[in-house]
Amino acid sequence: MTQTLHLVAHVGACGVLIHAGRVDSVVDVDAIVPAPGAAPGVLGLAAMRSRVATVVDPRHVLGLPRGTGESAGRRAVVTAVDGHLYAIAVDTLEDVAMFSIAPPPAGLGSLGPFVSGVVEGEGETLLALDLDRMIAAVDGGVNSKLTPGDACTSGKNNG
Amino acid sequence: MDDLLQEFIAETRETLEALSGEIVGWEAAPDDRARLDAIFRFVHTIKGSCGFLDLPRLTRLSHAAEDALSAVRDGARVPDPALVTAILAIIDRIGEVVEAIDAGAALDDSGEEMLIAALDPATGPALPLAAAPETTSEVALPVRGTKRTVRLSVDLLDHMMSGVSDMVLARNQLARALREMDDPRLETMLDRLTMTVDELRDTVTRTRMQRIEALFAPLPRLVRDAASSVGKHVSLAIEGGDVELDREMIELLRDPLVHLVRNAVDHGIEDRATRILAGKPAAGRLRVSARQAGNLIVIEIADDGRGIDTDRLALKIARERPDRVRELSALTEAQRAELVFEPGLSSRDEVTALSGRGVGMDVVKANVEQTGGRIRLSNRPGEGLSVAIEVPLTLAILNAVMVEVADTRFALSRQTVEEIVAIDQGQVRIDRFGTGAVVVVRGARLPLVELPHLLGKNDPAPLRYLAIVSVREGRYALGLEGVIDTQELVVKPAAPAVMRAGIYAGQMLPDDGVPVLLLDGAAIAARAGLRFDVQAEVEDADTGEVAVGTLLFEDVDGVARLIPTDAIDRIERPAMRDVNAAAGRLWLTAGEKSVPIWAGAGARTPADAGTVLRLQIDGREIAYPVREAMEIVPLPESLTPVDAGPVVALAMVDGTPVELLDPMLLFVDGGDTPAQPLCLLHGPDSPWMDAFLRPTIEAAGYRVARTLAPGERAQVALAMTDDPAPPPSPAIRLGRRRGEGVYRYDRIALTRALEEARA
Repeated sequence: MTQTLHLVAHVGACGVLIHAGRVDSVVDVDAIVPAPGAAPGVLGLAAMRSRVATVVDPRHVLGLPRGTGESAGRRAVVTAVDGHLYAIAVDTLEDVAMFSIAPPPAGLGSLGPFVSGVVEGEGETLLALDLDRMIAAVDGGVNSKLTPGDACTSGKNNG
Repeated sequence: MDDLLQEFIAETRETLEALSGEIVGWEAAPDDRARLDAIFRFVHTIKGSCGFLDLPRLTRLSHAAEDALSAVRDGARVPDPALVTAILAIIDRIGEVVEAIDAGAALDDSGEEMLIAALDPATGPALPLAAAPETTSEVALPVRGTKRTVRLSVDLLDHMMSGVSDMVLARNQLARALREMDDPRLETMLDRLTMTVDELRDTVTRTRMQRIEALFAPLPRLVRDAASSVGKHVSLAIEGGDVELDREMIELLRDPLVHLVRNAVDHGIEDRATRILAGKPAAGRLRVSARQAGNLIVIEIADDGRGIDTDRLALKIARERPDRVRELSALTEAQRAELVFEPGLSSRDEVTALSGRGVGMDVVKANVEQTGGRIRLSNRPGEGLSVAIEVPLTLAILNAVMVEVADTRFALSRQTVEEIVAIDQGQVRIDRFGTGAVVVVRGARLPLVELPHLLGKNDPAPLRYLAIVSVREGRYALGLEGVIDTQELVVKPAAPAVMRAGIYAGQMLPDDGVPVLLLDGAAIAARAGLRFDVQAEVEDADTGEVAVGTLLFEDVDGVARLIPTDAIDRIERPAMRDVNAAAGRLWLTAGEKSVPIWAGAGARTPADAGTVLRLQIDGREIAYPVREAMEIVPLPESLTPVDAGPVVALAMVDGTPVELLDPMLLFVDGGDTPAQPLCLLHGPDSPWMDAFLRPTIEAAGYRVARTLAPGERAQVALAMTDDPAPPPSPAIRLGRRRGEGVYRYDRIALTRALEEARA
């Protein structure tokens, strides 16, 4: 099996791999501008030099428990999908290395759709993320009606 | 015009280059439909551009080729080798003529008749089969000192733009750090850097962006020429010219727009007699407007002509394609109108001088779709057709108002914001009714949308400002917590995950490096559940003229005055730095141009121009400073004419006489006066006309006389409708009451009539 270059990162307690070919850059996000009404997985917007990236919290999509809420100074992996820039927030970024990815096993639960394979790490299973599927899940339908839990529905009660 | 010609030459040259392969391919396989279509589009485009650049030779050549190709497309002719050769000879000739135009050299036009004759199947192959025309001699054409241009890839420009944006951000960071050091030497150096970087950014932005004006500028001439060639009268209104758009997009939209405008004049608007019989104003109306709606730029071409005759259209297709009858009968009315986009179709059976056979709606659609946009029709048979071209806002610069809600900045398009009112100034009252609320601003009651609520903030800070937002559907007040400033920024599309909120139009990155979301005024209204009653245009039953609305305002000298709203492009509060004194008067900086500020009421210092009315007539602009814009009132019926500068009448508003301004007269001073035609005042009322109408007539570019000198000829005569003695024709009849001819106090209608008479 061929080896490919991957970034090793942690989101919560979960070790993940991101294909290096898909990584635009790795940045420290210092300020996130909120985007009220955006999809639940979106933390907000941040400037990456002269471009604006949408900051995504992978926990939401991956079905992991929410983090501490500390957003300033966190690291993010920047990737481009369909001409849009996304910054995927991670807790720690450990390494870049060559890996041979094995097919994903059963039993990944809500993570299943977003995992393209696994690798045995140091005492843990690292999950190779399928970025396109993950971003597609965050984006959802552009024109889909908001669910009652979303912020914007309170607009009906203005006044 | 020179720019347009250069563009045309560059474009034609480029298309010819790209087309040469198609031509050779077509020669080998004359039945290849795709190649035939490509060649057809080429000659069709050339014909369109030439007609309006006034290049009769090219028009003749391309028209002849188009005719022949059209016959082939319709299946009326078989593309035999003789025809292919003749077409190729014409395309070669077009190339030569274009090169000659570029070099400014004369090119002998002998042989062109023969080229055209060769297309005629009756005369047969007048050209020997392999004969490239003899005139293909390689003339060493002299090089003229023309503007030199190169074509660059858009990627390269984008790369340059983002590089410069990076530099601006880095400069700002550097500036912040250096300010802390407080070293005057560094400060000067930094200032120089700042200036250079700003200039560079403007230049680079200009490489990519262009005002949509560039697209609209040729339209008045085009409409005039097109209308006069078919003996129609058309008044053109252009709106939204200062929307800036990607150059690439502007190039792509040029042909579709020209085509649609020609179609409207040629097919849409009826001739004078038909219009009068149908109870419409004699002059057709054509409105071309550009606006930003959500993440789209919408260019709308609306006429008040006959609309698409869908029955006839369906019938024609059914006749040609009997196999489609069942499909056709199942179509909805809107779908039937869209049949005009079918290839090789004409909704008119006769060929006319202009849009030829009405072909090309398929080409228009293909061109628009090439930009990633779409085209929508709104057809009202008998009342007009409105075609909306929607193109994605890939890159656009917008004048944005930065507002603050929930400690976050958002941007609103300046174009949709009529004004911003501070709540604590007592000019507004907020009435709350349970879950809804309205605000009362200067007597107008508007629905209130509280932005903090809409954005999901539950314990918002008190509202401090209202932005009066005007969208297509209606007007409403948007409650804000703060207003920061206005900035010109590049808008880029936001990610789907963000657009999902349904209230944003895109994202922007100001110089401080903190992203800002651009709010979409129309989407906010929809999200807040506002329902606007569609208000039909108020038409005066007798004349079909729209009732004249006027703005009541407090002038800088404290006097209340009225001005017709038609003349007002928008009401603006310019930034102090945009108002400057020069050459003995005040000037307003708007984009790249300077607009004179009217000084007649005593505006002397920039402080007097806190609020200005931007007036725009026939492409000329003036800014009228006011203290406060009060309200819109219909033009009072009873006017007492006076003649005091731009004040033409006194109107009674709430029992008080108020001065009515004629916006035309504001443009009189400093206007350039070309050769002036003569306007004859005819009949017993001519002293009255001389006293009251002379300024208006002169403002419309005429000389005024009550008698003709020997040998003199009047361009137009003015006479009352009840004048028994017939005036020399052509004449404009003035009515003593509304509904009779041109109402004698309706200066706008009179000016329009005078302008038509001059055209």
